[in-house]
Amino acid sequence: MKELRMILHKEMIHIMRDKITLFLVLAIPIMLVLLFGFTISTEIRNAKIAIFDQAKDSQSQTLIDKISSSGYFQVVAYPETESEIDQDFKDLDIKLAIIIPPNFEGSLENEKMATLQIIDDVSDLNVASILNNYILAICHDFINEYNGQGLEDGSIDIVTNMLYNPEANSVYMFVPGIITLIMIIVTALMSSITLAREKETGTMRMLLITPVKKVYVIVGKVIPYMGLSLISTIMIIVISVFVFKMPINGSIALLLLLCIIFMFTAASFGMMISAISKTQIDAMMVTMMGLFLPTVLLSGFLFPLDNMPMIFQILADIFPAKWFIIAIKDVMIKGSGFFDIWKYLGILILMAIVLIALSLGNVDKRK
Amino acid sequence: MSEIDIQHINKRFGKVEALKDINLTVEAGEVFGLVGPDGAGKSTLFNILTTLLLPDSGSATILGMDIINDYLQIRRSIGYLPGVFSLYPDLSVQENLDFFAAMYKSSIRDNMNIIKPIWDQLLPFKDRPAGKLSGGMKQKLALCCALIHKPSLLFLDEPTTGVDPVSRREFWDILKDIQHKGVTVVVSTPYMDEATRCDRIALIQNGNIIEINTPNNIIANFKGHLCTMPTSDIFGLMKIMDRFELKCNYYPYGEHFHIVFYDDIKKALPAFEQFLEKNGRVHGEISSIQPNIEDCFIELIQMKL
Repeated sequence: MKELRMILHKEMIHIMRDKITLFLVLAIPIMLVLLFGFTISTEIRNAKIAIFDQAKDSQSQTLIDKISSSGYFQVVAYPETESEIDQDFKDLDIKLAIIIPPNFEGSLENEKMATLQIIDDVSDLNVASILNNYILAICHDFINEYNGQGLEDGSIDIVTNMLYNPEANSVYMFVPGIITLIMIIVTALMSSITLAREKETGTMRMLLITPVKKVYVIVGKVIPYMGLSLISTIMIIVISVFVFKMPINGSIALLLLLCIIFMFTAASFGMMISAISKTQIDAMMVTMMGLFLPTVLLSGFLFPLDNMPMIFQILADIFPAKWFIIAIKDVMIKGSGFFDIWKYLGILILMAIVLIALSLGNVDKRK
Repeated sequence: MSEIDIQHINKRFGKVEALKDINLTVEAGEVFGLVGPDGAGKSTLFNILTTLLLPDSGSATILGMDIINDYLQIRRSIGYLPGVFSLYPDLSVQENLDFFAAMYKSSIRDNMNIIKPIWDQLLPFKDRPAGKLSGGMKQKLALCCALIHKPSLLFLDEPTTGVDPVSRREFWDILKDIQHKGVTVVVSTPYMDEATRCDRIALIQNGNIIEINTPNNIIANFKGHLCTMPTSDIFGLMKIMDRFELKCNYYPYGEHFHIVFYDDIKKALPAFEQFLEKNGRVHGEISSIQPNIEDCFIELIQMKL
């Protein structure tokens, strides 16, 4: 055990002295979360809009209040004619205009329906469709509260799809994804690169020629990076909770357990990669092509898996990221407990065991 | 019993036969040199003896232990200095030593008596990162790391390649000191002049061992009569030499031309002078000299062909 302690100590020295890498490893997660949160975010706040209220009755006023207090919209103009709306698009740079028809309250009361006209600035299609969704959600809310019977607005589908994220809150989507990527970069990539570096510089030979157990060499290599990635993960979660108001509905202990188990899976990928790669470039390429890309593309983090061809769905099952992302969303958003996600934990542990067994079989072979 | 006993070892890498039927023994307490040009198979043999590589066929014992089955015990009792600098450049001198000592469950203090002369030279730099040391200092640190567990057998793979002449001499003085402390040393080198500092040497070429003997015996066994001649046109001289009838061997040697006669020197030398004059070549004074290891090596290779 003295050897393992010494290897850990040596690894810590490597990490602490390589200031640039250490900085990157710790700063990248924060940058990613903030980038996704503030700029790449699919969420839009305080979009400027104009409302042409032709009704001016109490219901139209309620709807306007709902819209302007939602936080998504900032009503910057109340035009009185349609040509004024045109002007507002040009002068005030509004993203959207709503026209409330005359006799809004009366229509709702008597005909059980009313038509809202929405004019979008479709120069940015993404923004437009997101804003439309917000309006739809707010109208839906409004109708529910209005409590008028038989007011169908055909938005039932949207409601079911967004059950746990009614406002298409993007932070829920990207935090699990970023945690996954960081764990893979720090645990799998960093540990396999530094192990390959020892092969390249010949220090691996020096270690091999000593009587020290090879398992110690590898475990001693992986543990410090697991520690680093755990720090990063906690930072990501703290930022997403405090800056982006992401809820943790499940238990924090379960969340940490899940992260640690995924970390082991990522680490075992790292060990597997180090076992088969001889140079740092090898390690980098194998991690990027064999682990990083599939994780980005096939985890459901950026692209929904349901729409993919069967073959890709099967491929996605083989990589751990998909299972981790499902589980972490369940715990953080749905508030699932251990017994809801034990299957996913089992899958991740099983993957780790298989990979560790495969790579240890490869470690101490002489040729 | 010999410290190292190698029997019929063969190793090939794809189409290249790196080692062909190697047989040799190294006795306790000697400095044994493996001398040969780059690519001769020195490092491959070292990798097999240090249990990093398996031979294709043949067997070997190190300190009585089998290199294939007892490799873990062997690793405990040998030290190895690789041909390229293989320590952690970002770790300090002291940290590197501490680390490798721990890998052997040992410590710097435990084996101070054997590393003392080297450690004293390293002491002023003990906090400097190993990567920032000079070439000679790097080698001394690597040697220190190789000795940190007091091995009874030390393998040095081209320890002086790329090291300046003064440091090379110092390094060999240290090796002699280590030998006196009871460590058997096996050292490989491409430098012929270093061969004479070994107790016995094996000349190796293209995976074959050509000769194993003491340096003095090898020089004493030189068959021909060696002459040297300064010349400014070695290339022109080499071109006409196949027209010279007497049995001889010739090769450029720095600014000089070495020629080895195998006939009676009293007849051969005048014949050679005549041959030069007939071909209109101006030449310097031809003088007889004692062969060195390099001349012997060239002769031995020629005789093999």
